[in-house]
Amino acid sequence: MIWQQLHSLIGSYPLALRGLGMTVVLSLISLALGTLIGFALGVLRAGDSRTLSGVIGAWVDLIRGTPFLVQIFLIFFILPELGVELDAFTAGIIGLTNLASCFICEIVVAGIRAVPTGQVEAALASGLSRWQRMRQVVLPQAMRVVLPPLVGQYVLLIKDSSVVSAIGLTDLTRVGWLVVQRVPNGLLVFALVGLAYFIVCYPLILLASRLEKRLGAAHAEVQL
Amino acid sequence: MIEFRGVNKWFGPLHVLKDITLSVEPREVVVVCGPSGSGKSTLIRCINGLETINDGDLVVDGQHVGDRATNMTQLRTEIGFVFQQFNLYPHKTALENVALAPIHVRKIPRAEAKSAGRELLAKVGLADKFDAYPAELSGGQQQRVAIARSLCMRPKIMLFDEPTSALDPEMISEVLDVMVAVAEESMTMMVVTHEMGFARKVAKRVVFIDAGAIVETGTPEEFFSHPRTERSRAFLSKILRH
Repeated sequence: MIWQQLHSLIGSYPLALRGLGMTVVLSLISLALGTLIGFALGVLRAGDSRTLSGVIGAWVDLIRGTPFLVQIFLIFFILPELGVELDAFTAGIIGLTNLASCFICEIVVAGIRAVPTGQVEAALASGLSRWQRMRQVVLPQAMRVVLPPLVGQYVLLIKDSSVVSAIGLTDLTRVGWLVVQRVPNGLLVFALVGLAYFIVCYPLILLASRLEKRLGAAHAEVQL
Repeated sequence: MIEFRGVNKWFGPLHVLKDITLSVEPREVVVVCGPSGSGKSTLIRCINGLETINDGDLVVDGQHVGDRATNMTQLRTEIGFVFQQFNLYPHKTALENVALAPIHVRKIPRAEAKSAGRELLAKVGLADKFDAYPAELSGGQQQRVAIARSLCMRPKIMLFDEPTSALDPEMISEVLDVMVAVAEESMTMMVVTHEMGFARKVAKRVVFIDAGAIVETGTPEEFFSHPRTERSRAFLSKILRH
């Protein structure tokens, strides 16, 4: 019985690979886009314009305060009603990128605010422009604070990508659902699905904790 | 070069600068002193717009500070500012700290800016510390890098906000020596400090501030030896006792 199931499972490996590929591609694209947009939003949110900062803040709160599943449904099922046709993959990318941007925005804002005001004043006094102050002085110092939670957030987002199976994208989770119809051993199948996610995430978890240690060491070093 | 005309500033209900009128000529060295909380730091921070004035007029190098038409970023390139806490960029080496603004603001070629930076660091006695990070330098060394960083922009005015107050006593003189050298190169300088030796040596005038208002102005000799007001006498007796 178990052998038959295993045999059948092995036969499903092309499907499993496709699922893994989908999860990885979806995560990679939306994390890359989300990081870019998240940094841009973070810089704007920490900037001088109160209106802009307020609007971004409200959006971030809205996204953080609603379930990702609901967001994905809104994008995939409601937008077409308004005349915006999206295929499931694009909808998934948009949903996940938006989610990533919002979480990363908050991490970046916290990092920017952790840079001492004296640093900004020194840069101001030297005549650096707004962008130069960000680029040369603030962001490099903020990065030390930003990196560990950023990598941690990547892990959460990769796991959140499983939600896109709900709109029919054949990612790891959906492959689990498909395989379990053929191989009636949910425990075994979803243990393997879980393992696959873990294999993708674990290097990032290691990286996050290493960065955290390095940050701690760097802080100890800067103490005056 | 620097002219305050009836300048007022409030922090909420707190009136921190009261009707300040003061003018600093080109190449003049003015020392500002007064009890802590008297508004002396605020006074010089207004000059490069780190603080905004609420009332009155402040003209620096012919430009009205706080005026909408004034390009403050441009004006700041002409004003060096040295902070009490140094505020060196911790992620950059001494040389990178010094050359950063010349490269990015003045658009001087990297190699040229770095060689000017090396020259200045050597001048402040740090020829062996080009590649050191701020965390590897003592307070006195950091403050000398900070002075070199300001000088590297070739400013018309140098402002010092209690440059030796955060230093251990044995490091004060190495920083003051550099400041004296800067003053002797006929720089326009405004220095918030209680270092009387420095004031006597290079200052043309001493301005005494208390509770946000200028109480007394005079030559160092007049001010330290024959203070005219009761408040300055009380202040001097406190800083001279040690």
